[in-house]
Amino acid sequence: MTLSGSLLTRIAVLVVVVVFFQIGVVSEVPVFGVAVDLSPLMVAFVGLLCGSTIGAATGFAVGLLVDLALVQTLGLTSLIFTLVGYWCGRLRELRDPQAALTPLLVGGLATAAALVGYSLMEFMLGVDAPVSLELLRQIVLGVVVNTIVAVPMWILVRRSLIGSLPPDPRRRRRRAYTTGGLSPLSKA
Amino acid sequence: MYDKTVRRRRAVLALLVVLSLILLTAYFGESADGGLHSVQRGFLTVVSPIQEGANKALKPVRDLFGWFGDTLHAKSQLAEVRKQNDILRKEAIAERAGQHGYHELLALYHLDQLSLNSYHPVTATVVGKSPNIWYSTVLIDKGTSSGVRKNDPVINEEGLVGKVAQAASDGAIVDLITDSEVGVSARINGTNATGVVQPKVGDPNDLVLGYLPGGTSVSRGENIVTSGTVEPPDYSLYPPGIAIGQVSSVDEESAFKSVNVHPLADLHNLNIVQVLTYTQGSKAASLTSLQGSLPSARQTATSGGEDSQLASTGTGE
Repeated sequence: MTLSGSLLTRIAVLVVVVVFFQIGVVSEVPVFGVAVDLSPLMVAFVGLLCGSTIGAATGFAVGLLVDLALVQTLGLTSLIFTLVGYWCGRLRELRDPQAALTPLLVGGLATAAALVGYSLMEFMLGVDAPVSLELLRQIVLGVVVNTIVAVPMWILVRRSLIGSLPPDPRRRRRRAYTTGGLSPLSKA
Repeated sequence: MYDKTVRRRRAVLALLVVLSLILLTAYFGESADGGLHSVQRGFLTVVSPIQEGANKALKPVRDLFGWFGDTLHAKSQLAEVRKQNDILRKEAIAERAGQHGYHELLALYHLDQLSLNSYHPVTATVVGKSPNIWYSTVLIDKGTSSGVRKNDPVINEEGLVGKVAQAASDGAIVDLITDSEVGVSARINGTNATGVVQPKVGDPNDLVLGYLPGGTSVSRGENIVTSGTVEPPDYSLYPPGIAIGQVSSVDEESAFKSVNVHPLADLHNLNIVQVLTYTQGSKAASLTSLQGSLPSARQTATSGGEDSQLASTGTGE
């Protein structure tokens, strides 16, 4: 998918608004003892809508913004979100899932990948924290809570970008067949 | 055409991954005064006013969500708090009598202790928080222009919150006491038993008071306060007597007795905090300066790879 100026602007605005909303509001309202993290959901859904290249680039930008704004280890969140965005983009390019539960599944998996990836990286960088039940509980709760908010986040990201997304020929073909308009069977 | 698309896709991914790794390596390799850290501080300076404005605008939304959680939490705690209130009232009456004699003795011996009066508290609003379970940090709207320096203690009305990790001109990042970078020298209130309060391993919401002497008698519900001394790995000076938390359980199995501590400050719901800054020439300033010049502390910290942190302990930012 090519990146038009309009799509780039929309993604940039979405990234800035969501990251600052996350840091200023969402992080301060714990649900079941954990904070909802909208950032991996946004990266995953941009990848799912726009493809692997844009997904990876968005992941890198979101990670960099988060690390800069929160004075965290620079490059760590970028690395994880780049891979999450790329993976979600590849899912779209290879499978193009259309099921209604896709955002739930992708949101949950993207969050799990981000949290586990983050934990692994922190262990490798020398943080003194062995795997404990409490840590696993935090990760599982984080995934559950993010899965719950995945659908509204999907709607938000989709509505924000849909106007600038180029038409997808595969989807047009599929819609045509379901209505029977261009099906060879309708000629009979 | 297809090959070109595939090659470009892979090249972009490789480029972004390599860029991330370069950033990661460079950030780890440099000191706290290095280029990337300076960029972060510069970004913090730019972002803080925006974040402050957004925080004020979105406060009603946050309060609405927070109200539900607070109500449920308050109801579950009501019975326990009432019981604690009865105990504390009895203790306060008993201690009031002893307090009078203590002040007389203090005046008699001209003892000048480091206390909260030696500091100049700067009230700040929390305008941002990390969602990550690996980082217990918050962003506040006061920085070096208000006298905030690196390693200044941060408190709220409930007790110790953390310390300043990075300070820009109009904002600062505060490491909470549950952050793995923080360790506070503490004692059990009313005793001389001291240890170090650190985050509980694998549990980002709880603390452990470790390195207590073996024979220390401690029971559930006792208060843990700052001892007013510096200890590794943190080497930050917190004034004595600031409440940190309450003992939730005791681990008798380890060689050094360790005590699980639940923080008194509600670290999930911070809104207003106070940064304890000091003025030049005050008791706190001279003690902080003395602490920064201690050779033993400097040696240990440098060998532990925390030279940058110690270097700024004595002089602030």
